[in-house]
Amino acid sequence: MSNTLQAGALPPTRTPTLSADTLLSVRNLQTHFFSREGAVKAVDGVSFDIKPGEILGIAGESGCGKSVTSQSIMRILPKNGKIVGGEILFNHANQTIDLATTEPEGRLMRAIRGKEIAMIFQEPMTAFSPVYTIGNQIIETIRIHQPVSKGEAREQAIEMLHRVGMPNPGRNIDQYTFNLSGGMRQRAMVALALSCRPKLLIADEPTTAVDVTIQAQILKLLREIQADLGMAIIMITHDLGVIAELTERVMIMYLGKEVEYGTVADLFHRPQHPYTRGLLASIPKMEPGRVAINPIEGSVPSPYAMPAGCKFHPRCPDFIAGVCERHDPPLTEIAPGHQVSCYLYGGWEVQP
Amino acid sequence: MSATMANDSANNSANNGAMAKRAIISVRNLVKHFPIEAGFLRRQVGVVKAVDGVSFDLNERETLALVGESGCGKTTTSRCVIQALKPTAGQVLFQMDGAPAVDLTQLGKKELKAARRNIRMIYQDPYSSLNPRMNLLQIIGEPLVINRAVKGRSELQDRVAELLRMVRLDPSAMNRYPHAFSGGQRQRIAIARALALSPKVVIADEAVSALDVSVQAQILNLLKELQRELGLTYLFVAHNLAVVKYEADRVAVMYAGKIVEIAETEALYLQPMHPYTEALISAAPNPDPDTKNRPRITLSGDVADVGNLPSGCAFHPRCQYAQERCRQETPMLAQVGGADGPARFSACHFAEQLELVGIAARVEEARHG
Repeated sequence: MSNTLQAGALPPTRTPTLSADTLLSVRNLQTHFFSREGAVKAVDGVSFDIKPGEILGIAGESGCGKSVTSQSIMRILPKNGKIVGGEILFNHANQTIDLATTEPEGRLMRAIRGKEIAMIFQEPMTAFSPVYTIGNQIIETIRIHQPVSKGEAREQAIEMLHRVGMPNPGRNIDQYTFNLSGGMRQRAMVALALSCRPKLLIADEPTTAVDVTIQAQILKLLREIQADLGMAIIMITHDLGVIAELTERVMIMYLGKEVEYGTVADLFHRPQHPYTRGLLASIPKMEPGRVAINPIEGSVPSPYAMPAGCKFHPRCPDFIAGVCERHDPPLTEIAPGHQVSCYLYGGWEVQP
Repeated sequence: MSATMANDSANNSANNGAMAKRAIISVRNLVKHFPIEAGFLRRQVGVVKAVDGVSFDLNERETLALVGESGCGKTTTSRCVIQALKPTAGQVLFQMDGAPAVDLTQLGKKELKAARRNIRMIYQDPYSSLNPRMNLLQIIGEPLVINRAVKGRSELQDRVAELLRMVRLDPSAMNRYPHAFSGGQRQRIAIARALALSPKVVIADEAVSALDVSVQAQILNLLKELQRELGLTYLFVAHNLAVVKYEADRVAVMYAGKIVEIAETEALYLQPMHPYTEALISAAPNPDPDTKNRPRITLSGDVADVGNLPSGCAFHPRCQYAQERCRQETPMLAQVGGADGPARFSACHFAEQLELVGIAARVEEARHG
């Protein structure tokens, strides 16, 4: 793909081989959107690995690129969005393939999407059609990916509906989405996503539109199903509470950049990037007594007027004049497994 | 029932014993039913009991939160308070200092317009609540013009500039249109519009729910500062328990059209007296990985359907403590505990017997295994 060259990020090499203990490796991913107003760097050089069975959280505010990252992996970007650089490596049929250069509508991508990598959304109606029964749609998905008869597929679908805690799977399978309550639709969507036993489940804000008691049910379900089926999960959310409850490692994003990456304990107890610290100080906590909150100054800038240098510098309380507005800080490892992109932790002395 | 409650809250001198609290709005047995119609003749086949006998006092200069899940009636209650919806029954008594109390439900159009100068609203979505074809001067100035609160254009501009400064926006932005502003800035504009007529009471309906966390924190702090500066009273409708804990002095928890518990914020979170409050507190995700493995109460099923309520206590099908009595007898909101502290009310037959778990126990348990 000539775009890789244009981005100047990686030399054009053959697809590297992914070791067996890595399920998915995203390397220097760059996804841009093109419109009349200009190009928007929605994802601008993001890298992370996921091991089989691991739960990774991606958190950030609106416009940080967390959803675009997941749409890039699934290759379901809107028409004006393009992956212009980087690699998305995934092991499929004993071979490492680069999803970033795979034809989005091609045979290979269709074999992976829904089968090996599945996705659940904020709004269940994104995943379901209102004019077919949920069983119809789950059975269809199973039969696209597996050589089974209609009867067998139906049995698998009922079994999956049972597993996600639908009250009456034998009856629910023949119901339409409008027959179901919000929480039940969410469960049915999880059943649809898991119907082919994916190795990776991408959950894009699955609990944002539901009530807190339903949210607790869905989080519990994801925890149980993950332990049961052993798939890896990427949990995309703006809610740091959900991140703390569910994930093991976390990536914090701001305006298309990865600002901090580490274990949940690192991020919540030893946050290093001023943005991560600001986010944590911004959320009201349910602790005894009056706990003050300290908001981050200003607001997320327009994607068409991105600041130069570090994208966070106009809002940063620890901004280093002469450095942060000129140079883009690289992601640096400050402790084993804990990475930060911020000049407070060195790296700027060697900049030209 | 409502009479006892009014007496109790009037007699109770609360945390700061010196200042007696005065109710600025007293809601009494508020009921709002919507008909369910069906068929060609739109015959009424049922009724949605969206709000079903709600009573509370909103005290001067306090923030009272109405909290609950979707369909619990919190928004309908707030709309009935400002008479945006006509209540089916009940009273909304509004009392300005010195003046006799008036029942807003009985007022004519003209009197209501005058009363509404003192009760304003802020909505959830600042993208749909501001007219994109009006500039800030028109948006914020509109209530002033309609109520003839200013004379002439320069007075209008001065007042709008003052309001913009009040919400920490630059007055020079007066001639710009909403599209030029971010979500947080738009919510500031909506607040400035709500404050234009110097109201006594502001009803904030999920005013920070649509905002990013860093901006949400700014608006929460701004609302608190404005309350101190202007002596405002807030009715704060929200679903996020952490936000409510930060913002409110007292909390009323609603379920299926009724208040199930009402108490001072700290007391309610430390020691809930209704199983639903306990479950809400337990379910809220906590941004601390150390509490990840805490025992949780996960309620089964969905929020009760207010078009088809269960018998007895509406919460009983989801309540882990439910007993036979709960299936048959609807509990009333009654005073519980509070011999040593401020009065609090719970609508649970077993409120006094149950030992429910609040946030203190949760943090404790998590830290010590």
